[in-house]
Amino acid sequence: MSKAHDMGGRLDSRRIDIKSSNVKFKADWEKEVFAITLALGFSSLWNLDRSRYARESLEPKDYLQFGYFEKWLAGLINLLGENGIIKDGQEKGGNFKKSSFRILEAKNVKKLLNMGGPTKRESTTEKKFNLGETVSVRANNSNTKVEKGHTRLPDYVKGRTGKVIAYHGNHVFPDTNAHFLGENPEALYSVEFKSQDLWDKCEYFEDTVVVDLWESYIEKFK
Amino acid sequence: MKKDNLKQFYKEFPSNPDARVKALKSILEKEGLIDQKALDEILDTYQNKVGPLNGAKIVAKAWTNKKFKEDLLNNTDQVLKDMDLNGRQGEHVVVVENTETVHNLIVCTLCSCYPWPLLGLPPSWYKSDAYRSRAVREPRAVLSDFDVKLPISKKIKVWDSTAEIRYLVLPQQPPGSKGLRENELVSWVTRDSMIGTGFPKPPTGE
Repeated sequence: MSKAHDMGGRLDSRRIDIKSSNVKFKADWEKEVFAITLALGFSSLWNLDRSRYARESLEPKDYLQFGYFEKWLAGLINLLGENGIIKDGQEKGGNFKKSSFRILEAKNVKKLLNMGGPTKRESTTEKKFNLGETVSVRANNSNTKVEKGHTRLPDYVKGRTGKVIAYHGNHVFPDTNAHFLGENPEALYSVEFKSQDLWDKCEYFEDTVVVDLWESYIEKFK
Repeated sequence: MKKDNLKQFYKEFPSNPDARVKALKSILEKEGLIDQKALDEILDTYQNKVGPLNGAKIVAKAWTNKKFKEDLLNNTDQVLKDMDLNGRQGEHVVVVENTETVHNLIVCTLCSCYPWPLLGLPPSWYKSDAYRSRAVREPRAVLSDFDVKLPISKKIKVWDSTAEIRYLVLPQQPPGSKGLRENELVSWVTRDSMIGTGFPKPPTGE
């Protein structure tokens, strides 16, 4: 059973609701959540992988029922809690050290948004796989360092075989970065899978799915 | 094996999202951790400044300028940097080209990754469970929800944005727009055509 957020290929009979597709925010509170989340993302207390992990770790029932920005809001509260900024309630977090918190000032917004958070790092090791090479995805897609930890290896490709079609250099490894265990950059590849190798019934035999996978997610095809 | 249990602090907050964000904001304000002007600036950026027009300009330029198209496909990050179109959620971009034989479709099954600097914030349906679940398994059925029918001679390539690479579809130029100038073509390029759930079309009102 895949985790609630790992939705690729899950059977879902709902039509895509394309109405109101130009509405960015459905209510003012969504705007607040969006802006506060981005602003606090620059606080230096956590990283993008940690914030994804915080959203994914909500109670599965809530993850599935919450709207998009409700997930952001709950995830953000949990991050503030573990940093001791939220002290209400019974749960006690860590001790908040305000000196290490970077407050986002208006004059820096444009510069910081333009800078973003590149994840590409210098390559210090030789990559293991070549373009065109057939590879297999690990049979188990659990985080190998942290129990029930964060990973960007989707359930629907585990144990499947595909072909390397692109190499993107070394990128920060989410499985450790989300848990403050270091960036540990790894080679990142795009791997193309035939749809007929992923699904019992596929719509058309030539269709494919491409997934971006870190080197330790894949193995040599035997 | 290490453990990392993030506690569920949010449960201590009001369940209504409007009240929940108000409660959170008052704590942050009391601690002096947010600057309202910065929040306003962020919203202004994504509500008024960044949107699909950025992507449309690139596509129109690629349709009319062969050299630019080559650069865009092969040296994407540098081209976008030169045009001041990189940045948050668009740090590493790959442009995928639709051809007579391949149609590309973009999804993020694990969350809702989307090339913000080029397309703005994603539409609701892009973030929906239905789209995230179905796009990789039954892309043709998904496309029919958008009234998009593809000939069987075209292969669909679905790109699942599982890492920090963001994808933009370079749609095919519609025959009816051939001969138009770059600035006239911009309004043909729809947001959905750059996600792969639509095609470019003549601007409405013509």
